[in-house]
Amino acid sequence: MQEILQYLFSGLTNGAIYAVIALGFSILFNATELINFAHGEFVMLGALCLVTLWSGLHLPLPLALLLSAAAVGGVGFLFQRLAIHPVRKPDHIVLVIITVGASIFFRGLGMLLWGKDAFAVPSFTRKASVEVAGAVLTSQSLVIIGTVGVLALVLHFFFRRTLTGKAMEACAISRRAAWLTGIPAQGMVLLAFVLSAVIGGLGGLIIAPITMCSYDMGTVLGLKGFCAAMLGGLGSLWGAVLGGLLLGVLESLSVGLINSGLKDATAFLLLLMILYVRPSGLLGNRSVQRF
Amino acid sequence: MRFADDNPNGPPARPTDSPGGPLLRLEGVSKTFGGVQALKDISFEVPSGTVMGLIGPNGAGKTTLFNLISGIFAPDGGRILYGGTDIGGRPTHRLVADGIARTFQNVELFESLTAAENVMVGQYVRTRCGFWGAWLRGPGARREERDSQAAAAEWLRFVGLAGEARTPSGELPFGWQRLLEIARALASRPRLLLLDEPAAGLNAVETEQLGRLILEIRGRGITILLVEHDMSLTMEVCDRIVVLDRGEKLAEGTPREIQTNVDVLSAYLGPDVGAPSRQQAR
Amino acid sequence: MVRPSLHNLVPYAFFVVLVGSAGLWVDNPYYFQILSMIGIHALLALALNLLMGYAGQISLGHAAFYGIGAYASALLSARYGLSPWLALPCAMLAAGLVALVVGYPTLKLSGYYLGMGTLGIGMIVFIVFREWSSVTGGASGFVGIPPLGLGGRALLDVRSYYFLVWAVVLLALCGSQRLIRSRVGRALRSIHDSEAAARAVGIPTSRLKLQVFVLSAVMSAVAGFLYAHMVGFISPDTFSFIVSVKLVTMVVIGGMASIWGALLGAALLTLLPEVLHAFAEFEMVVYGLILMTVMIFLPQGLTRGILDIYALRRRQSERAARPAD
Repeated sequence: MQEILQYLFSGLTNGAIYAVIALGFSILFNATELINFAHGEFVMLGALCLVTLWSGLHLPLPLALLLSAAAVGGVGFLFQRLAIHPVRKPDHIVLVIITVGASIFFRGLGMLLWGKDAFAVPSFTRKASVEVAGAVLTSQSLVIIGTVGVLALVLHFFFRRTLTGKAMEACAISRRAAWLTGIPAQGMVLLAFVLSAVIGGLGGLIIAPITMCSYDMGTVLGLKGFCAAMLGGLGSLWGAVLGGLLLGVLESLSVGLINSGLKDATAFLLLLMILYVRPSGLLGNRSVQRF
Repeated sequence: MRFADDNPNGPPARPTDSPGGPLLRLEGVSKTFGGVQALKDISFEVPSGTVMGLIGPNGAGKTTLFNLISGIFAPDGGRILYGGTDIGGRPTHRLVADGIARTFQNVELFESLTAAENVMVGQYVRTRCGFWGAWLRGPGARREERDSQAAAAEWLRFVGLAGEARTPSGELPFGWQRLLEIARALASRPRLLLLDEPAAGLNAVETEQLGRLILEIRGRGITILLVEHDMSLTMEVCDRIVVLDRGEKLAEGTPREIQTNVDVLSAYLGPDVGAPSRQQAR
Repeated sequence: MVRPSLHNLVPYAFFVVLVGSAGLWVDNPYYFQILSMIGIHALLALALNLLMGYAGQISLGHAAFYGIGAYASALLSARYGLSPWLALPCAMLAAGLVALVVGYPTLKLSGYYLGMGTLGIGMIVFIVFREWSSVTGGASGFVGIPPLGLGGRALLDVRSYYFLVWAVVLLALCGSQRLIRSRVGRALRSIHDSEAAARAVGIPTSRLKLQVFVLSAVMSAVAGFLYAHMVGFISPDTFSFIVSVKLVTMVVIGGMASIWGALLGAALLTLLPEVLHAFAEFEMVVYGLILMTVMIFLPQGLTRGILDIYALRRRQSERAARPAD
């Protein structure tokens, strides 16, 4: 029992990170119908920026977090302006390959700037771990899970209550119609890119203390976050959160109860299952078959 | 593929029916989409070798009926008898092999293929060369390919597009795309041809040519079911007309009968229109 | 069309002369290995091009079938002592069967969702290679794969191996070209343009998509066989997601729906890393930049754009020459 609870805790922690990454995928997909294969690299950049700013330059933690997130947002901005915006033929396959190219580019950049070594970052708080029925929940886990909750609420508020958020949703439904009603669709796409990048970077910030940070950490995280987004329903906000947590918990349980070799396979088995049974995802409502 | 296999290039074998009898017969056909009754208890017959018109205001269920007959949806109730057998729910590609071809309201061509290739794709169910045939390219496969090309040229000539064989279909003017779509449907050697608003988007001259083409197709013994909003075309080419309104059959008769039918006029022009006038119906 | 006119034979003649003269002129084992690698990639790109360029069905997991071919052949020949030439049909069968089983549910998806489904398949197969160490040797790889021999004794040297690989490529080229110019090929291309319309004119689209998926997987397995017995060692990384993506890139950069384009794409993407070795640490950055730049400015791929212009010119001159009727 205690063991299962422990698996559950570590699953929730990982799941919360997948959820953050999935949120980035979903926001971008909603506004642009694009799946960004470089999204995982934003996570890597976030984590490595924190390594430099906090562990390296000893900036105060809040400032380091803020600057790191801003830096990743800036990368997202440049990425959209320089690589996505000038595309002549916005075909799905072409865009996918561009984001894959970007992913390789960012990884190469990470290797140039930080080398091939892996770095560790201390926990954000000095608070002791919490013990529940014999299972340990570290303070960083609490930080991570709390971040997801707050982030999801903020985004919910942003899309439902603010004019900008609603305009972004409108672009998601029909870019042309939104443009005709006077919404600056291009600006919305750019905003979605920056927002998605910042959220990806945030994922990197909160994961930094519980993993080894290196230039190649992003790819697998990105793919799993993507599986989580599909699981919950691509484009659905709460679906991303649900998909992330579910993936994290199932992954942790399958490692603990079945076989550690299954760890990485869980995400993709779930991906296939959801695609075969309900391609719109658990909470998604978009139609998949389009003529 | 039933008929394709025993006689790949000839006309499809005929399902058992008496000559001159109904080729298509609908018996109480119904279809519901999420609570909305799109078609309610529709019954009529299409005699072999005739042009049957299907008219009605927008949303009357004409395209839904086409989708049922061509196997895109299965009916919820009733029977669709084609040559005496119930074909409701049979997959589309089987129906094409059985001799039912169709065109679409919004032309659906294969835009990256040339006009001739489009027509050759239309012959898919009447040809049989598979993967191995393509690789080995034996005498049989070569003959079939030659015949297929010749037939495509012939169908293009038939609809008046002889000079455009090598043009990518996406580059053809819209009116010609409609003709090409008809040629592609004819290439499957149908016994029943479903034309979904073939005159939409055509100018007056093109519409007149289309009318002549439809009569020529009938002259080849092909039965036609025609959905059309252009009344003068419908009245000119149809032998009989069925009128649908809000999913129900409103009337059936010869063009002349339909033109003077009070129910039809009120469906089209509103219930207040009293004295029927031929001019308005046109 | 079928006419085997001179016009169609010219590229083949050029191809044979180029491959032949390179094979006779080059005299360096390392270069032979690279040239053979181009051939193996060309085979993979041709396979994927049939599926993606012609039938319009994206696969982000094609390295899986490449890997199944390699591992199946390696296992059977190294562990069970089967002759590699007998292992080849078994490897093809294995890849074909896996493709049949996973393709059936996956090919019901379209667009992005199909891409994701194939990605998932690719990842799962990759993880199986990596984790099932008792059979596959795990992450450290599978060693001791016997080289290919002819008549049981004489082993193929690098030059003969190069010719073997390119003979297979030539066969695949002819086969692909014959296929796409046939009834089946036209049907596949029509699915690419509009699956709904293809179904409506009588094409059994699901069956045809599955068939071409299996064919593509079997071709990839042949490439895997050639790779495994050339290098003598395989590890999961050779068949990872990145490799699947590289294959897609070869097809797209060369130009979709163009068999010669697939060849060009394979050659470019195999040579690029060799050239980029000179950049040492900058290799990944430059590779990523090139990929993005080509896609931004030449989204049709390198060959397609040129061919389209040529075809348009030819039609225009034909139309001008035709007497007004």
